[in-house]
Amino acid sequence: MIGRTMSARTINFTLNGEAVSTTIEPHRNLVELLQRFDLFGARESCGQGLCGCCTVLVDGKAVSGCLYFAVWVDGKSVTTVEHFDGHGTLSNVQQAFIECGAFQCGFCTPGFVMMAHQLLKENSDPSEDDIRHYFSGNLCRCAAYPEIVEAVRRAAKAT
Amino acid sequence: MIPFEMVEPSSLQEAVGMLDPQDPAIRPVAGGTALMLMMKAGVFAPSRLVCLHRIEPRYSRIALTGSGELQIGAMATLSEVEHDANVAARLPALKRALRRLSNPRVRNVARVGGALAHGDPHMDLPPVLTALGARVTIVGPKGERVLPLERLYSGYYETVLEKNELITTATVPSLNGRKSAYMKVTLRSADDWPALGVAVSFKLQNGAIRDPVIVVSAATEKVTRMTSTEKVLQGAAPDDATLARAGDAAVAEASILADAHGSAAYKRELLRVYMRRAVRQALADDAQRVQS
Repeated sequence: MIGRTMSARTINFTLNGEAVSTTIEPHRNLVELLQRFDLFGARESCGQGLCGCCTVLVDGKAVSGCLYFAVWVDGKSVTTVEHFDGHGTLSNVQQAFIECGAFQCGFCTPGFVMMAHQLLKENSDPSEDDIRHYFSGNLCRCAAYPEIVEAVRRAAKAT
Repeated sequence: MIPFEMVEPSSLQEAVGMLDPQDPAIRPVAGGTALMLMMKAGVFAPSRLVCLHRIEPRYSRIALTGSGELQIGAMATLSEVEHDANVAARLPALKRALRRLSNPRVRNVARVGGALAHGDPHMDLPPVLTALGARVTIVGPKGERVLPLERLYSGYYETVLEKNELITTATVPSLNGRKSAYMKVTLRSADDWPALGVAVSFKLQNGAIRDPVIVVSAATEKVTRMTSTEKVLQGAAPDDATLARAGDAAVAEASILADAHGSAAYKRELLRVYMRRAVRQALADDAQRVQS
């Protein structure tokens, strides 16, 4: 048996456009890593990759932060919903969510906004069926689904 | 999750050397989406994970061979397979299955090799690829071996893989005109684990089914080929009477288990119905366009 080192390791990555470095243990997930940078937009809710509340982008691809080892972002680029704070300017997706009233409590909204950006990047004119399939892993307990689908279509038109 | 060690070998051979055939607390990790669920649930507590992310990039490649076989590197993500042009053009049942496999975030991270090696009978790729006649290339300390996928599974979450063997490639033969389909039944959300999966492929010659491969998953302890049901379909026209007989045969043949997704009686009825629907879906294959 080789020496067992559970110790934290140093990782370097780009976080919302800024080069950062930290030390973290292998058993921590990406949501826990982001909390160390005071980023709370990605929330661990179901903890099973089903609800989408912890959606973040790693090298431009959406992942569930709760099902992604923190050490795996070493050398990669991480984008969270805080990236869209835009210094006061809303993204087309955020604007459409407001115009359509696509939320009530707002807990799931960061995940939906991240996934909507990702969908529109892959498919600039998604059908309702495309949207519903893409969001099969995003849960809104307030059930604002019709408004969310409408918001994504509105954002697509505004793109 | 409790602390463990993570090592990141830079080659497949190095990875194999870091695994231990005697120690179940040391496991390889590809995308980790399934393994992390087990770790969070406390059913798996590793001492060491051997991360495969840094092994040679050729194990992530998806390529068409000269003979029309699709070679899918075990480290390809499910998204990469989903969006592969050859998959869309040549393997519509696989494309359709991937669109409804968990959700886009899991597909961005989960790898083909992990989805095959995990041995969870509820997963989608094992039944689809088994029905498509796929085989897997396996590498261990003694070298390489190739196995038909249908012979990989030995029980509930159990495979014939040694603890220091890794799947490197899944090879899917050309359909050569075969019809194919995979249908699953989820009880709650669309991306829920299925209560039942049925995958089929067959040739249609002069209106009769030839060389059918029928596979049942999720409701059984492992992905299971239904050889008696295949005999019922062999040479028969896929009419209502044949499909009813095939449904009865599948129900008689399959060892259906009860679980949180439904009683055994309920799942037997699902199988009777979905046996028929899967064959019909395969027949409609040519007519249907696969949505991206």
